[in-house]
Amino acid sequence: MNRSPTADRPEGPFTAFSRFLGHFRWAFMPLGLLALIAVGIHAAADTLDDRLLAVVDFVDAAFDRLVGRFDLTAPLVDLLSLERRTFLARALALSWELAADVVLALPALGYREESAPQAPSWRLPQTPSRHSWRALLVRCLRRPTSMRWIRPLATALVAVAGACTVARLVQGTVYLSWRELFGEGVADGVARGLALAALVGLLWRLGARAVLRNLQHADEASELHARGFARALAYGLPGSALVAPLALAAALDASPLLSFLR
Amino acid sequence: MFSRNARGLLDFTLALLCLWTAWHHTPAGALVRRASAWALGRHSTARPLLAYYDGVSGTGVSAPTLAPGTPPLRPFTDGEALAYGTHLALKGLSPKARAPAFALAEELGVPPDSLLDESRGPAAVRKLHEALAKAFPQEESRLTALFAGRVPARYAVERVAAEGGTPSLERLARQLPPGYEDSTVAAAQALALATAFGLAWPVPESAPVTSPFGYRLHPVLGTRKLHTGVDLSVRVGTAVQAVADGTVRRASEDAVNGRVLIVDHGRGVTTAYCHNSELLVRPGQRVTRGELIARSGNTGRSTGPHLHYQLELAAQPVDPLRFRARSSPLVDGSAR
Repeated sequence: MNRSPTADRPEGPFTAFSRFLGHFRWAFMPLGLLALIAVGIHAAADTLDDRLLAVVDFVDAAFDRLVGRFDLTAPLVDLLSLERRTFLARALALSWELAADVVLALPALGYREESAPQAPSWRLPQTPSRHSWRALLVRCLRRPTSMRWIRPLATALVAVAGACTVARLVQGTVYLSWRELFGEGVADGVARGLALAALVGLLWRLGARAVLRNLQHADEASELHARGFARALAYGLPGSALVAPLALAAALDASPLLSFLR
Repeated sequence: MFSRNARGLLDFTLALLCLWTAWHHTPAGALVRRASAWALGRHSTARPLLAYYDGVSGTGVSAPTLAPGTPPLRPFTDGEALAYGTHLALKGLSPKARAPAFALAEELGVPPDSLLDESRGPAAVRKLHEALAKAFPQEESRLTALFAGRVPARYAVERVAAEGGTPSLERLARQLPPGYEDSTVAAAQALALATAFGLAWPVPESAPVTSPFGYRLHPVLGTRKLHTGVDLSVRVGTAVQAVADGTVRRASEDAVNGRVLIVDHGRGVTTAYCHNSELLVRPGQRVTRGELIARSGNTGRSTGPHLHYQLELAAQPVDPLRFRARSSPLVDGSAR
């Protein structure tokens, strides 16, 4: 008779507490996914503000050259004074980040886990089969759309950047607050261990779900609106174009994964 | 790895960590904090939204506000400039945020109060720098050690080394957990002020200042406007030199600024040179201190040959004369 090895054991307080928390997954999981993506997007946007300033400088110079040619429009040169360009670049970075939050992070609020009869409720692929990883990836290959490819990929990259940011904060907080209590060696070891655990845990438990949820969202939208080649390419393209540079910045400048192993 | 029953707690902990990070470290989190503070009728502690993009930011006073009222009596060496900048930044800090610097001073036998003293302060601060120089050879990490403490600074330096790259103040600040914002802001202010004190002058020292920094009646528009730099009376074709090493951010021409150059010197310091007759460098080009970058002129909205020289600290214009040793004549002439 096959019985689970834990079946006869009485439930301890830890397990009971964990189970109790599991009842609130509907609330904390969507919020956690949203927060992870938002943190990753900010980590990426923070690396772009200097480049945005260069773009603002370039555009402002071209604009000033253009309007300065005519007496009537010459006063417009003063529209963006030299010292206000930095302000504008930061305002653009903020707008970009908030717009990317809407495109990538908000769909996470639609995250749901459905119980299957024979499996515990916390298990990941309990969604109907058409929303499973396998079914979604098959549709990505057979009926590719810009949304189906770009959004989940961008989510994956910003989720990694977000996990690195959280892990970095965990390491710094633990090391600097525990050093006085437990000494240098213990604090350093524990901080490194916890940072690495946070990084792995976030990628495993939340990162994967964030990507899956975004894939589901992109799939639903594509099924509804992106039929035919032109629609498949164009539907959701502005949003995808908005998040693609941020995803690239997240991968290149905001994901120091190996630093947690050094 | 984790029993299935434990995953509820694991997921809850991880989600909470993400929410905590987003709450404190993203503009979206700041928006929510502001909205909830407004709804509850409380005061929000969230930073201004745009401050999330200036690398190191906090609630302290800005570097331009800390600029000295009177210019230095003689040119500073690099060490003196750093010490004076640190002294000014310390004065702008809250008593609580000064604690690490005061603790270090006590450890070295320097009376903490002397760090804030107008006359003895720069020399006292210099002793702290000298004591930290061996363990923290780079100015960025040394200032972090002075304002945040040696342990957090060493930790941040090691983390930046693990990530690879140079330990800029922005990267060091990123490694520190919440609670060190004021320290990293003060370090950035000290560095910006020190860099400004070390700047050369773009034209010969003898060039008279014909229109100083500040509010004035604009000579062309006839309206009261902030003059964001100083006008230096020089002949057309006078050599304009870079006041420090940096990267050309802009080299363009328009109807107001004429042929204009903007050079980014890093550490929050930018200079601009307007109304030139000829620009000799391109955007993106690296320039060195004293390098010929332009020839002065009378282009744009100008009533006579001059160079408009502008200095910005943390993206705010400041009076360049407040950072220049007072050795050249100032002339109260007509505004250009």
